[in-house]
Amino acid sequence: MIDLDVYKETKLALYRTMVRIRTFENGARRLIKDGQIPARFGFYTGQEAVAAGVCAHLGPEDQIGSTHRPLGHLVAKGCDMNRLMAELCAKRTGFNKGKSGPYHTFDPDSGSLGANGIVGGSVPMTAGYALAHQLRGDGGVAVSFFGEGASNQGGVQETLNLAACWELPLVFVCENSSPEVQRMLGHEIDYPQLSIDDVSERAAAYGIPGSSHVGWDVLEVYEAVGDAVARARSGGGPTLLEFKVHQIEGNLEGRIEAEEDERKWCPIHLFGEKLRVEGVLTPEIEKKILDEERAAVEEAKAYGVRSLEPELLEAFTDVFAEGA
Amino acid sequence: MSVREITYGEALNEAHALEMERDPSIIVFGENVSSSWRAATKGLKERFGRERVRDAPITETAFIGMGVGAAIAGFRPVVEIMLVDFGLVAMDQILNQMAKSPYMSGGAVKVPMTLRAIYGAGTSSGATHSESLYSLFAHMPGLKVAIPSNPYDAKGLLISSIRDDGPVVFMEHRLLGRMKGEVPEGTYTVPFGVANLVREGTDVTVVATGRMVGMAIEATDFLKQKVSVEVIDPRTIVPLDEETILNSLKKTGRLVVVDEDYERCGFSAEVAAIAAEKGFSSLTAPVSRVATPNVPLPFNPVLESHLLPDREKIVRAINGVMA
Repeated sequence: MIDLDVYKETKLALYRTMVRIRTFENGARRLIKDGQIPARFGFYTGQEAVAAGVCAHLGPEDQIGSTHRPLGHLVAKGCDMNRLMAELCAKRTGFNKGKSGPYHTFDPDSGSLGANGIVGGSVPMTAGYALAHQLRGDGGVAVSFFGEGASNQGGVQETLNLAACWELPLVFVCENSSPEVQRMLGHEIDYPQLSIDDVSERAAAYGIPGSSHVGWDVLEVYEAVGDAVARARSGGGPTLLEFKVHQIEGNLEGRIEAEEDERKWCPIHLFGEKLRVEGVLTPEIEKKILDEERAAVEEAKAYGVRSLEPELLEAFTDVFAEGA
Repeated sequence: MSVREITYGEALNEAHALEMERDPSIIVFGENVSSSWRAATKGLKERFGRERVRDAPITETAFIGMGVGAAIAGFRPVVEIMLVDFGLVAMDQILNQMAKSPYMSGGAVKVPMTLRAIYGAGTSSGATHSESLYSLFAHMPGLKVAIPSNPYDAKGLLISSIRDDGPVVFMEHRLLGRMKGEVPEGTYTVPFGVANLVREGTDVTVVATGRMVGMAIEATDFLKQKVSVEVIDPRTIVPLDEETILNSLKKTGRLVVVDEDYERCGFSAEVAAIAAEKGFSSLTAPVSRVATPNVPLPFNPVLESHLLPDREKIVRAINGVMA
């Protein structure tokens, strides 16, 4: 760990991004409970370090492809929270006029090109964003988020091969949310879903670098991704990174603290403790971050709730480029 | 603009080359696109470079999905899957991501991508190398489907496909590749959703697609002294020029649909449904369909031709609606 290389501002920015994600998700939980968001969906709580550590290396010109637990990725990538919450509320002011919901959110302005309702579905598309950078020679990169379950999908394996063959500026980020049991989160399955301990072992099969990391340590994520992104930007081709993560419970009250038994892998708790010891996160700064993020999420919730439903005719637009 | 005769495959090649010359955002990749024995793409790599024309590994899910992504990122990929049957291994990328991303994004992204696929039976190639399947793509909201039946349309429809701001599945019949016809040298487009009135007639309307257009004309010629047949080639089945079909029905009152795809829930059923819903008062006889029966296509050439629409079956259907 080379903490000395990471500036204080970067650390605080990472901490703030994680707080923002958790606060936003808890806000969404509240709106689901209140009936303002019309469906339940997968959350990212406990995995914030990965989205924060990855997206800290990306600008709006770099794209991400996301999953069906996308809120952390989208918030970290810089999506406007008002429009994101409005999309979750299925309102016309959402990024996608209320037609995507959480599972298909597209925000080209921030480079968030697709949450995806199909496990592994966004991975081949993300290779297309990387190809576009390669053809333009603009030094941009794409990052493909997927889970350990998706890592078994043929399309993901195919894309690893294709990206390696074409040396695409693409970073594969696998968030393994079942690191001990090798079972799929939320699915009651008896057999293991992976025949290996670390998804990153598969990198060797495609002749690209791969490594596995603790995903609840945001600085470890930040450094691993920094190397992979730099490699991709300089034409060195793709990398497969695996981050072990644990999902933790959120809450409806907007607290960012994890329950006692979950703190050992809560990235916000662990990083907060570290920064307090270092004197980087003073009580004043901490209060400022929490207050500001909470206020921003409250504003996003209000925006989502008060926005209008789409017109019924909207159901028929955007099927084709010219409309209906 | 001088007119000379070239093949369907050469016409496709010209469409690629003219458009790639005009627009550097057009890229071509897929299976064997740099091969010298693929008429549609032969020579493109030499002319436009291996950056823009790339052979992909045989992984349709990865490279079709990559086409979707590159399209969203501002390129105009023309992606080739060799045979349409191979697209079946990549249905998520075609039917979910390619077709629906524009809608799901509320128009925030566009997918200006052309997916080229060779289709069709008649070469004793068996059940996974002979299908038509365009009805499958037409079923999914968001995809346009073009099926050129001759060299002129092949070139003009491909240019229209490449210029379309949304995804197009472009279907080329494997037995039409060497078909010759008059094709202008320069750039021109054949618009989507505008049917070609191939033959005018007054007794029966025959709607046929792709290679079936030629078969329908053979049947028409065979019946020339007895029945006046109007042959309509929709050219694109999405969007479909319903108006031309319904106007023809007003004149003839009788409809035969000739479709190489499977009969059940297919294009022929769609045209029959349109006639029943919107042209019922014009009809003076039940609609007749000549389509491939709902069985996989067998390897045996006698069995295969037993199943496929042909001139005799079309003649029988026309005589049937005239009876």
